[in-house]
Amino acid sequence: MKRKVSCVLAVLLVISLLSGCSVNTASGPSKSKTTTLTYWTFNGLHEALFQDAAKNWNKVHPDRKIKLNSVVYPYGQMHDNLSISLIANQGVPDIVDIEQKRFATMVKGNQVPLVDLTSLVAKDRDKFVESRLTMYSKNGKLYGIDTHVGTTVMYYNMDIMQKAGVNIDRIQTWDDYVKAGKKVVKKTGKPMTTIETKDPNNFLPMIVQQKSGFFDKNGKLILNNKINVKTLEFLRDMVYTDKVAVPTPGGNHHAEEYYGFMNQGGAGSVLMPIWYMGRFLDYMPDLKGKIAIRPMPAWTKGGDRSAGMGGTATAIPKASKHIDLAKDFLQYTKVSKEGNIKLWTVLGFDPLRWDVWDDPALQKENKYTAYFTNGTSLFNMLLELKDEINPLYMTEDFPAVSDKLATQILYKTIKLRNETPKKALDDAAKELE
Amino acid sequence: MNKKQNTAISKVSVNMLFILLCLVTLFPLFCLVLASLKPSTELLRFGLNMKLDVHVMSFKNYAYLFQGGSIYFEWFKNSLLLLVISTALTLFFSSMVGYGLAVYSFKGKNVLFLLVLFIMMVPLEIMMLPLFKMTVALKIVDSYTGVILPFIVAPVAVFFFRQYALGLPKALLESARVDGCTEFGIFLRIMMPLMKPAFGAMAILQAMGSWNNFLWPLIVLRSKEMFTLPIGFASLLSPYGNNYDLLISGAVLAVIPIIIIFLFFQKYFISGLTSGGIKG
Amino acid sequence: MKVVHSNTQPVMLSEEKKRSWLSGLLYSRKVAPYVFVAPFIISFLVFFAYPLVQTFVMSFQEVLPGETTFVGLENYRKLNNQTFYTALLNTVQYTFWTLVVLIPIPLVLAVLLNSRMTRFKNIFKSALFIPVLTSTIIAGIVFRLIFGDMSSAFMNSFLIKLGLKPELWLSSEGTGMFVMVLLASWRWLGVNMLYFLAGLQNISNDLYEAADIDGASTFQKFFHITLPSLKPVTVYVLTISIVGGFRMFEESYVFWQNYSPGDIGLTLVGYIYQQGLAYNNMGLGAAIGIVLLMIILIVSVISLKLSGSFKEEH
Repeated sequence: MKRKVSCVLAVLLVISLLSGCSVNTASGPSKSKTTTLTYWTFNGLHEALFQDAAKNWNKVHPDRKIKLNSVVYPYGQMHDNLSISLIANQGVPDIVDIEQKRFATMVKGNQVPLVDLTSLVAKDRDKFVESRLTMYSKNGKLYGIDTHVGTTVMYYNMDIMQKAGVNIDRIQTWDDYVKAGKKVVKKTGKPMTTIETKDPNNFLPMIVQQKSGFFDKNGKLILNNKINVKTLEFLRDMVYTDKVAVPTPGGNHHAEEYYGFMNQGGAGSVLMPIWYMGRFLDYMPDLKGKIAIRPMPAWTKGGDRSAGMGGTATAIPKASKHIDLAKDFLQYTKVSKEGNIKLWTVLGFDPLRWDVWDDPALQKENKYTAYFTNGTSLFNMLLELKDEINPLYMTEDFPAVSDKLATQILYKTIKLRNETPKKALDDAAKELE
Repeated sequence: MNKKQNTAISKVSVNMLFILLCLVTLFPLFCLVLASLKPSTELLRFGLNMKLDVHVMSFKNYAYLFQGGSIYFEWFKNSLLLLVISTALTLFFSSMVGYGLAVYSFKGKNVLFLLVLFIMMVPLEIMMLPLFKMTVALKIVDSYTGVILPFIVAPVAVFFFRQYALGLPKALLESARVDGCTEFGIFLRIMMPLMKPAFGAMAILQAMGSWNNFLWPLIVLRSKEMFTLPIGFASLLSPYGNNYDLLISGAVLAVIPIIIIFLFFQKYFISGLTSGGIKG
Repeated sequence: MKVVHSNTQPVMLSEEKKRSWLSGLLYSRKVAPYVFVAPFIISFLVFFAYPLVQTFVMSFQEVLPGETTFVGLENYRKLNNQTFYTALLNTVQYTFWTLVVLIPIPLVLAVLLNSRMTRFKNIFKSALFIPVLTSTIIAGIVFRLIFGDMSSAFMNSFLIKLGLKPELWLSSEGTGMFVMVLLASWRWLGVNMLYFLAGLQNISNDLYEAADIDGASTFQKFFHITLPSLKPVTVYVLTISIVGGFRMFEESYVFWQNYSPGDIGLTLVGYIYQQGLAYNNMGLGAAIGIVLLMIILIVSVISLKLSGSFKEEH
């Protein structure tokens, strides 16, 4: 009997000890000069980039050493936690990655809880792909530094193209692309491409290419404008009239089903941004040496051939206790030239600063260049495209519009085909008004 | 004769039914174990399948978990620690409350019992922000105290212990009082041992809840050294590259402790639920 | 809590004044019950009542960092939209189907398992209980792969072998609901079966023996003895299933991460996440929560009333 009582007491003791030592010590003042900065991300690769930067920072700044306490959360939950913490104004990290779609909601309201970062890029602003700065700005103030341009390109499976006798350098417009697609279907029996029905990775770059988007410059919803309707009709026709495309297995280009399908040579090409290169390496090992990267087909000859898609902006919450240090460290990691080179060498992303694109470091062989047939000349191609990337305007409703496309519009018009593009877009625009 | 034959047929068919049902039930888990023995490229190439290909099968994924510096065992340890402490404390306090509600009559007793039922019905999701603010105010963010404390009295367990305690012999209570035991002493020394089956049943349910708990720990815990298995798993699953090798073998290992707990307390489970455990 | 040690010998209250008030507290039958329920009262007030009231207040506000505005019934008015009704309908349907599957089937299985006909009882019990021990996250991965849209996915290749057409399991309304209910059934069948099994142990054998003497058939015994005796357990399982059904989120999340095609997997709790967190409309999220709570309360009270449970209570 006694033993049981003492058991309970022991447990209570453990608990009190636990509570005694577990008060957050992360951002308290420390005895040495090392400051602990907390960094949240939802992507393990980004953690590697920041840890690498911290190591180098400490070599250059022995007087302002940083201990980076990085935490990788699941994607949705990290943003949910951040929303809650920003509103509670407590328990925020010093540096945080915010994905493009969720960014607009974090800067909602008159009192943006993030630090103004405009001064970080002030000096070299003309060296940045400006549309990637506009996206994370509100009322002219920059609140986040992106991780890549997300230049959207076409990845071609050269095995299939050669079998079909298609010369991909001849494909200049979307019409050319459809024509080549018909050839591919006829010769190989495989679709030219896949269209996402659960994510707008086909639709969005194709409308941005035509200077359209979800919102205009003033934040007005233009989801159902003429360009967008026409583009959605074009996508639907690729599947059902021209029969050169199929709805993406698994719904998007990140589904396990799709990786398996594509890896076995399931389709001739895929439209995705540059950051998708890593996915080829990790999940489609059998396509090594077979994939060529080309600009997107344009809508008219000489039209824009790309769009910047996706993105993750790094921000600093106002409630951070080390704003100045966090800012300098962020500048070092993602704004400086050296930092931008790392964005390619560590992550395989196309850096925000185009003035590093012709740097020798970006032409060097690495695992990315080894996988793709034109890996080493990639950035020469991107340099041609840098002025063809139109801005994408965001408002706080961006996630809602994006989700409507993902869950309703694309599904109904391309997968089920029970609604016309015009009606689907009109209905959604009405509900979102 | 005929009747005997009939019983034999139904006997066989009933047993067949259960065997079939168990096979179907265990099938997904079998797939999981099989997949854990293959490299993840196989999974991506061929999907989940039943192919037994000895050439590609190995324990490599498991070896990966055991490699030095792997954070998996940190998570495992944390989950285990949380399981033990939170289950012990929740059972202690919930049984105390349930017992109090069952054996005494006092003012407000019925209101309290209705409140217990009411809490059972409220989804945690609807009050995340205020609850988080509360943990901030109490300075228990990023601590296991913050994970455990808000739920230290589990309404389901209180409900259960109350029902169980209603069936305890009142005579013992009186004789203990005559012997000079305090009310609390009676509970600790006499009644708690009598409620052993109830503890067994609730231990399984609470341990299971703690082991798989995801939502609240995720909001409270802020440093990766403190993460638990479910949080760790979820962070391996992302649109930015799923780490299947670690994920699936880790998942298989993660089921084991909870199965052991189940097998250990299993005999109490039924008897605990039985003896007046659930009535209206 | 330390005081438990101090009461090993019989003590007369008047004897030692030193620990008088403390032991008075411990021995008093008037005070003792409050000591026992104190943990509940404290945790209720701090971790439940206060946050719930806050949520209620928030449902009339627009909540943003550093600024909170009173907006009256605006948040509730916004609920009059198609997505909310889709979420509500999905939740009701899901709850309905889980009740249909997860009450009668475990009940019958429990009766069969309890009968003399079944062997290996412990093995069956354990095997059917194991799924609930695995976390939904893990279970979801396996289920998602089994029910993939591709014709090479396990379930579809199985259908093709049977000469049937492959299905887009995770992309169409009916099948989407089916996989969610299936996942829930897979996980909870064993648990509910054990509840019923426990209930069966409480039925006295005399009842059956008496029925045997009267020459009752197996079915008559089932309907006239077993079923009525299992009523308390059934009410318990029914109530937790209703609550669980309306609170459902994970079973949908593992398949679609809350973004299902045509919102076929959107539940009310999923809608709270979407609006409250993903779109940062905490006020609207709170309003959905309050509506959800009302629904759960009303449905549970009705079901408890219909089953006559309130009469037994008092």
